[in-house]
Amino acid sequence: MTEDRPAALAVEGVVAAVGPLKILQDVSLVVNAGEAVAVLGANGAGKTTLLRTIAGLNIPREGTIRLHGEAIEGLPAHRITRAGIGHVPSGRELFPRLSVGDHLELGGRFSLPARRALLRSRVLDMFAVLRERIGQRAGTLSGGEQQMLAIARALMTDPRVLLLDEPSMGLAPKIVLSVFETFPILREQGVAILLAEQSLSLGLAAADRAYVMDHGRIVLSGTAAELASDSRVADTYLGR
Amino acid sequence: MLLLQLLVNGILLGGLYVLIAQSLNLIFGVMGIVNLAHGGFIVLAGLFTYWFATTSGLSPLFVLPLAFVAMGLAGALIERFLVEPLMLRERRADLASLMLTFGLSFVLVQLALNLWGSDFVSVPYLQSSYRFRGLNFDAALSISGVFAAVISASLYVWLNYTLSGKSLLAASQSPTGALSCGIDVGRVRMVAFGIGVGLAAAAGVLVIVVLALAPQSANDFTLLAFVIIALGGLGNYLGVVAASLLLGLAQSVAGYFWGGNAEYVLPYLLLLLVMVARPQRFRQSP
Repeated sequence: MTEDRPAALAVEGVVAAVGPLKILQDVSLVVNAGEAVAVLGANGAGKTTLLRTIAGLNIPREGTIRLHGEAIEGLPAHRITRAGIGHVPSGRELFPRLSVGDHLELGGRFSLPARRALLRSRVLDMFAVLRERIGQRAGTLSGGEQQMLAIARALMTDPRVLLLDEPSMGLAPKIVLSVFETFPILREQGVAILLAEQSLSLGLAAADRAYVMDHGRIVLSGTAAELASDSRVADTYLGR
Repeated sequence: MLLLQLLVNGILLGGLYVLIAQSLNLIFGVMGIVNLAHGGFIVLAGLFTYWFATTSGLSPLFVLPLAFVAMGLAGALIERFLVEPLMLRERRADLASLMLTFGLSFVLVQLALNLWGSDFVSVPYLQSSYRFRGLNFDAALSISGVFAAVISASLYVWLNYTLSGKSLLAASQSPTGALSCGIDVGRVRMVAFGIGVGLAAAAGVLVIVVLALAPQSANDFTLLAFVIIALGGLGNYLGVVAASLLLGLAQSVAGYFWGGNAEYVLPYLLLLLVMVARPQRFRQSP
């Protein structure tokens, strides 16, 4: 990271709660432009809450969240989306009775027409199967197609940072790989990726760097290669 | 020929029912709350129309756009300042919203009672009928049914074929997904509530042209609308059209053969049947 250009996404000292429960305690992380970073952790470590907090679906009690240097914490979620944070939420959150085409249209709602057309042809090139299903309702798609549509919808918002919440959930390994294969294309386009992933091997394979979360804190961080050979990572997962 | 006549009357009545039910359905679909003040809005607009038509001597249809806009704005304000704060604060938001709209219904009915008294009134408008190929078309019922059907159809087209309409459907099917598209879900909810209340008001204008109304009729209309959306499927727009026509036809036939009481009790009998035979109907379709 060069000093004159701020990180794509900088989370600093974020404390967040869901209801009365404190889920995130003093979480800090950085994602640079064009970088893919994974947040790893067991179920319940706070990964989803972290992503939801960045996306504005949960308001942090303390701390700052900056998108290319601009503070976005506390903004309403739809404003954060328009500011350039794409969120592929856990459970995909598609509109089951709307068509694939409608999803792309809604995702691109706030882009200029020319830009929208470019984004649309890009995502349809990336996920060719969606082009065949363009008039089909999202509820009738297979799990893999639904995941691709959720990513495509988020990409239609023209994000500078893409948050992906366990895109591997419920998918066959082969399909997961085809989803992860799109990352290099996105990064070439300057999109920074923050991936929450429960599977250690998948997360480390897809990312340059990773943070390991446990009980709402970041306990380890490093490059994917460093963490892959660090025995403490597995210990965190096993609760030792 | 008699059956054909009953069919015509039933379909016209059904057209009016579509509007009565669809406005409730819209609010339910987007917000997940049943607006128990629904009939209150219908009655208030209907009685206002009566007052307007009898004092000005103008056609009650002039009130239609006015009632839609004025009550729609009132609905939007109610959503922003009463419903929304409650939904954000309460844990059992569904129960709290029922109590809120239940209370609101009393306010509306009392307001109507204070303004216009408790008498049943109807607007003496278009008391003629037209004959076409041996069938009688009651002028008031025809105009009312057709207007209501056209308004409902416009709502359907807006929802399914425009970007703003689709945004509303999106927000109702997944608020989180809609937010991740940059859609201001809070504003969508306000608009949906406003349009729902505005359409209820429009329905009220069209109802008083056909039926006699009093403030205390409010709950009948809330229940009628609820029966229809329960029959047609909560949040299911085409199902509600089918249920409205079915109910209109059934009432038209029952009213002719067994009289007004049969007509009145029919919706509740149907509701009971559906509750016993198809209880899964009461869950919102995905």
